Amino acid sequence: MILTPNILVRLVAIVIVGVILQLSFFSQVALFHVSPDVLPALVVVLGLFGGTLTGAVCGFSVGLLLDCLLIAPLGGGSLVLLATGYLAGLFRERFEIHSPLVPPLLCMGLTLFAELGFGAVELTLGIHAPVSPLVLRDMLLKSIFAFFLGWAIYALLRRVLRPALVDEPAVRRRSRPRMMGA
Amino acid sequence: MYRKQVRRRRAVLALLIVGSFALLTVTYGQGSNGIQRGVSTIFSPVQSVADRALKPARDLVNWFDETFDAKGRNARLHSELEKARRQAVGEQAAVAENAQLRKLLGLDESGAIPSGYTRVTGRVIARSPTVWFADVMIDVGSGDGVSVGDPVVNGDGLVGQVAAVTGGSAQVTLIADHSSAVSAKIVPGGVEGVLKPSVGDPGDLILDFLDSEKLVGKGQSVVTSGWRAQGIESGYPPNLPIGEVTEAPLVEQEAQQQVHVKPFADLRDLDLVQVLTGGSRR
Repeated sequence: MILTPNILVRLVAIVIVGVILQLSFFSQVALFHVSPDVLPALVVVLGLFGGTLTGAVCGFSVGLLLDCLLIAPLGGGSLVLLATGYLAGLFRERFEIHSPLVPPLLCMGLTLFAELGFGAVELTLGIHAPVSPLVLRDMLLKSIFAFFLGWAIYALLRRVLRPALVDEPAVRRRSRPRMMGA
Repeated sequence: MYRKQVRRRRAVLALLIVGSFALLTVTYGQGSNGIQRGVSTIFSPVQSVADRALKPARDLVNWFDETFDAKGRNARLHSELEKARRQAVGEQAAVAENAQLRKLLGLDESGAIPSGYTRVTGRVIARSPTVWFADVMIDVGSGDGVSVGDPVVNGDGLVGQVAAVTGGSAQVTLIADHSSAVSAKIVPGGVEGVLKPSVGDPGDLILDFLDSEKLVGKGQSVVTSGWRAQGIESGYPPNLPIGEVTEAPLVEQEAQQQVHVKPFADLRDLDLVQVLTGGSRR
């Protein structure tokens, strides 16, 4: 990703809009009793477009803004999401994305990773109540939602960040085959 | 050139990780700090607008969820049920109170929400995305008279307690949050215990530390006990309806001294809440 001031502004806007949409919309809707978590998928897509550094910085920023707005202890969300963004970026730097299924599958897997990470941070800091097995259902459903959300986010952000993408194929004008003698 | 890039990348990554741990260490266990108050003050109006603008879309998605779950309830019957339930809980609490008043002189009768509290109505504008935190943000804060520790209710019953405030918003820790513990009693009967959540399942609370000799039955109501002793007192006023006992196996009561409680308030779907400010706790 080529980072110009214009692209940086777009990245900041994406982070802010993503966090506000999560808090005001996705966290307050429920499908099968589970609220989708769009933020890990957003960070994964940014990592896939920008690489490890962009993924980590965006993940850190998303986590920090989230913790600030929820008045939660700072740092927990940042740590988990920066790791998520870094892993997505690492995938992008190590492997080619051959199939359109790769981004949503990565969103699904890394959302599960992020949810486990949030749980690990909480368990490390101390949970003073029994943990229901429904936590696992919540994590799995969030990951499945992330598959579909990741698809949409990938397509949307690809449009928004198109000028900065290095490997974006140029739009080719297809010439009609000429008939001999026509 | 490439090695330089790699070194820079590693340095930034290390800085971010160290920064995260430092922030976590500094801010864990504290309430709101200056950064959070500032950011929250800036974003509260944006969140409020986004919340109102997105409400139709949220309602649509939630409608699908309720339809899938066969939860589509008739509005009239639902409101009648709520009214009857509130009345029943209020009556049960009153009966229990009457019994206690005969034993304990000097206590005044109080209703479901005791007098002396000022109600501040707020709207939920944000909600924690992870299952590990059961927090919501509401659009009223210290500017409206809300302060840390104030109980929060909705039309169904107790919802939580204010954990942090800024000028125009407040963080409410729900009774389903792992850090929550509410002293509660069962009516009728007056068996007391501590209500704790089961993390990940906001529809199932656990009333713990019960007296195993006094048996509790399914369907009994649970209200806040609002105790007061030797200068310290519960953060909640007495007799706020919380929920009803859904599971009370004899073995679990005798061995673990606990029963399962379903909260009256739907903690997954909160919109308007009331903060009880002031009161006798001050």
